[in-house]
Amino acid sequence: MKASFNWLRALVPTLPNDPREVAGRLARGGIEVETMRTFGDGAEKCIIARVTALRAHPARTGLRLVTVDLGAVGAIEVVCGAANVPDPGGLVVFAPLGTTLPAKGMTIGRREIGGIVSEGMLCSEAELGVSNESDGIIVLPAELAAPGARFIDAVPSAHDTIFELGVTPNRPDALGHIGLARDIAALSSIDWTPPPLKSALLAHGKQATSEVTVRIEDAEGCPHYAATIVEAVTIEPSPLWLQHRLTSLGIRPISNVVDMTNLMLMLYGHPLHAFDFDRVSDATIVVRRAREGERLTTLDGVERTLSTDDLVICDTKAPIALAGVMGGAASEVTSLTKRVLIECAYFDPRVIRRAARRHAIHSEGSHRFERGIDSGDTMRVLTDVTAGVVELTRGHAVPGATLVVAKEIRQPSVRLRNARISQLLGFDIPAAEVATSLRRLGFVKLSGDAESSTFVVPTFRPDVSREVDLIEEAVRLHGFDAIPRAMPTVLAIQGPPGRETFLRRVRDAAVTFGLYEALTYSFVSPEQLEAVGAPAPTVILKNPMNDQRSVMRTSLLPGLFESLSRARRHGERDVRLFSVGTLFGEAPAGQLPLETSHFSALLAGDRPSYLQHAEPVDAWDAKGLAIGMLAKLTKRSADVVTYTADKRPLYLHPRAAGEVRVDGVAVGRIGLLHPDVAAKFDVGNDTVVVELNLQTIADLPKKAERIAHLPKFPASTRDLALVLSDDIPAGDVLANIVASAGDLGESVSIFDRFVGKGIPADHASVAFRVVYRASNRTLTDAEIDARHAAVVAAAQSRFGAQLRS
Amino acid sequence: MAGPPQSSNSENIESNIDAGLATLRAQFPARFNAAESEPSLREENAKLLGKKGELTAILKQLGAVAPEARKAIGERVNALKTEVEAAFQKRLATIEAAKRDAELNARPFDLTLPGRLAAPIGHAHPISIVRDEIVDIFARLGFQVHDGPEIELEDYNFTKLGFPPDHPATDMQDSFWTTSGHLLRTHTSNIQVRAMLSQKPPFAFIAPGAVYRRDDEDATHLPMFHQIEGFMVNERVTFAELRGVLTEFAERLYGRDTTIRFRPSYFPFVEPGAEVDVRCVFCKGGGCSICKQTGWIEILGAGMIHPAVFEHCGIDPEKYTGFAFGMGVERIAMLRYDIPDLRMLVENDPRFLVQF
Ligand SMILES: [Zn+2]
Repeated sequence: MKASFNWLRALVPTLPNDPREVAGRLARGGIEVETMRTFGDGAEKCIIARVTALRAHPARTGLRLVTVDLGAVGAIEVVCGAANVPDPGGLVVFAPLGTTLPAKGMTIGRREIGGIVSEGMLCSEAELGVSNESDGIIVLPAELAAPGARFIDAVPSAHDTIFELGVTPNRPDALGHIGLARDIAALSSIDWTPPPLKSALLAHGKQATSEVTVRIEDAEGCPHYAATIVEAVTIEPSPLWLQHRLTSLGIRPISNVVDMTNLMLMLYGHPLHAFDFDRVSDATIVVRRAREGERLTTLDGVERTLSTDDLVICDTKAPIALAGVMGGAASEVTSLTKRVLIECAYFDPRVIRRAARRHAIHSEGSHRFERGIDSGDTMRVLTDVTAGVVELTRGHAVPGATLVVAKEIRQPSVRLRNARISQLLGFDIPAAEVATSLRRLGFVKLSGDAESSTFVVPTFRPDVSREVDLIEEAVRLHGFDAIPRAMPTVLAIQGPPGRETFLRRVRDAAVTFGLYEALTYSFVSPEQLEAVGAPAPTVILKNPMNDQRSVMRTSLLPGLFESLSRARRHGERDVRLFSVGTLFGEAPAGQLPLETSHFSALLAGDRPSYLQHAEPVDAWDAKGLAIGMLAKLTKRSADVVTYTADKRPLYLHPRAAGEVRVDGVAVGRIGLLHPDVAAKFDVGNDTVVVELNLQTIADLPKKAERIAHLPKFPASTRDLALVLSDDIPAGDVLANIVASAGDLGESVSIFDRFVGKGIPADHASVAFRVVYRASNRTLTDAEIDARHAAVVAAAQSRFGAQLRS
Repeated sequence: MAGPPQSSNSENIESNIDAGLATLRAQFPARFNAAESEPSLREENAKLLGKKGELTAILKQLGAVAPEARKAIGERVNALKTEVEAAFQKRLATIEAAKRDAELNARPFDLTLPGRLAAPIGHAHPISIVRDEIVDIFARLGFQVHDGPEIELEDYNFTKLGFPPDHPATDMQDSFWTTSGHLLRTHTSNIQVRAMLSQKPPFAFIAPGAVYRRDDEDATHLPMFHQIEGFMVNERVTFAELRGVLTEFAERLYGRDTTIRFRPSYFPFVEPGAEVDVRCVFCKGGGCSICKQTGWIEILGAGMIHPAVFEHCGIDPEKYTGFAFGMGVERIAMLRYDIPDLRMLVENDPRFLVQF
């Protein structure tokens, strides 16, 4: 909503002549002033000039030399290219040297055109920023002002300050200058009433005019409909002041009738519509729902197919307007129009909103109707607009107006208990102040006693229906700055920590392991999910942003791969990302989709190394990350079990894909990315991933948090190195050693793996360290040697391994 | 007959031994002192006293010495050994001290070489950092974190919160709908509804999470972003307490010299409703490009929970009052870190993430 500072000051003359101050008051009252700009920026320096002589430019065709009288300054000859320079005696607008015209992004300087020096310029409206387009320079009525007068004194409408307001949807009253004036007056503690009508209020009733018949067939959609008729109209462009006002408020001037309805729209916030009455068949207006498939070509030239939910204005033959949204082209007021019918109605907000959305039209009219216009100002607005149209068109109004009230709109009255104010706000506003505030805002006090008062809500405040709404109005005018600070005395009882705490531990652990946290969208494409072998999406968006973001994810990997691919394009090779987010699964019958938290990480490029040649990450980095994460999160050691071919997730490399288990429970997977998938996402083959189901991990049975007591007796360590065929998993050998070390074995670990000189092809020397210890005695060397010999023998015979010396 | 020559031979040998010992005694200090390092000292010591050393060689003659003389020689040998051992230790200590001094005085290590990290350094996302910080502030003020679904019923996301169907207020939050008729929550205010439906006051919750609005991605909009909603319900919770809690919050987030202001505004689920600005932390109120010369930055929406919301959730609005507030994590992060374009937050460029 754009608002004119000059107009507001005309309505409330006691307002300070300071747009900033007024903007501040509006904002403090809850009407945000988003921007403030000058209309006619550039017009300030311009002066009125009278043409005294005209001659052709000696060198340039199409240009003329115009001598103008600038009053006290004298006369000057300037070059002008406009075709509409008036004959001597005509008034034009002169911009002297140094005038800045922001609308054109120029400052007028001394110019030489074809050997003639021009110091100044005759201006068009567009150049002064008071019109979006101009057909030639401004020509003013010859008696308007004396040469030398300031243009903005002669044409005050050419200069204004325009506020761009952010009006919240609950305040339709602030979508017109009358409503804004009321609010700013109340906020300024000014007693104010709307200016009186210039003409007497129209008499109305079914018989007030016999020229038109109005029938409302849908009382819900159209509670009120009123109309007047103006005959013998002359349709022509509006006077400058009106064009300026509309242009300054962002509305394109069209013709005197349409412009007048738009002016009233901006004054009252009440949309109006003018029909060419001779195009209304049988002089009959019918307000009804459209019939399925009925067609209407609207003013924007679009032929629309209507549905039975659309409210339409019809004549006896067909729809002639989409009620409250847009008029029809067939009944549009044109230069040929002789009689106009002016509509002033109240339409149901929800009906208008649905129609506007269905037809994707957002008009000044629908914007207001859908928020709820003043249901009580119909006759006032109609009277005002009719008088205005009569004046501008030099027509005459058919006496009276037709008003049909199909449904009364009842005004609620609301009781306000004085005690409730401090109960809700924590401080008191005196009842007298509240009453004054409400009165200034248009509330009428119906009754009252020491404890409470009852107020009738004005018709222009459909947002007010409860006691708390009155309290809001009271505190809004009292000033939010005056709200004291207090701290609540009782706070909630704390419950057990929820998912948040766990998820934060996950993130902290991942950061500890040197990963960077990525934030990825929940919506992905089905193809991306398929590419990573994720479950098919079951939550499908009906209105996605685009095909690439059309379903809710069942894997975090596509988002991470997108990020990796982008990083690679930026030349970042070594990438370590993780993401914690929600995956969306199928909804159990009658319930919302299942949401589970997951963790995914990827490592790509080289492993961080210290002053030595870096090596690419591999599957064991992924395994280590998974085990590390789970150790932090569960205090347990996880296993990674190689997938059998039938269980392997297809996005992982067939040689390097493992299931992550904690105490036998599958909690995730790790592996090297399959090269085909790497190619699809445009990431390198050297990418490994970790996926963990955080829900499963959080649900693992709680482990007793007790320490293992430290051993009392010493340990002895024996190492053995076995030359193993690559077909033998080292983990199997380790398990075998653990088994044969039996009760004397405390731990077994792999501490070296060597391939190369002295080791046969497809073999590796793997070194194990066995720690022997008994809990109840110091083991003798003989005992340990005997057990270790058994361990070695068992491993050798079981795996056909050579002992490496 | 057999005695004297024997004895004389024995005495000769004895004097040989003594001469050998005397030679050793005379030599060892110099030989030790000539050793410059611990290994050469030990080598010298072994030459003197080792199994194959010079003393052993001398003592090989001992078998030929009369048994009654052996004890005395043994005592002399031990005395010499003690002397040598003491000298060895002394020399060893000298060498070690010299070595230690040399080590201490050698060229300093090159600490300009990079540090060796225990693990590579990880980085939390700025949204997580800001979100955790805000949640922690409210947790310390007594608010408890409450979870809720990201895919929600229209009833919980809109209707129960006082957004009637076909009301322009829903324009403020253009929604994503699923084919099964649910929507992606447009705010975490759905938690308010869920908490009120499932629990009895008093309570104070903070609800962080992802929310979705159908806005085109640009420098100031993302279709998915993060919100933190907080609310408190009890008998006689007041607007002044809302101001108190939010002032405390702002002071803890931005420092004790922060001030906030309330401006009347509209959110369907609160009445009165307010937008809350903090004094611009960059220009301290003087006006700058970040606050668009106003000196204030809007960071929160807030208000007293609308009685209709209480009624929709089965709570008596005559008995209970409450406040609610909500803020966008992206906006606060953007302001804090001077992030010029919100899309940087979802692009996950390592060069961006490494800065947090
Ligand atoms: Zn600032």
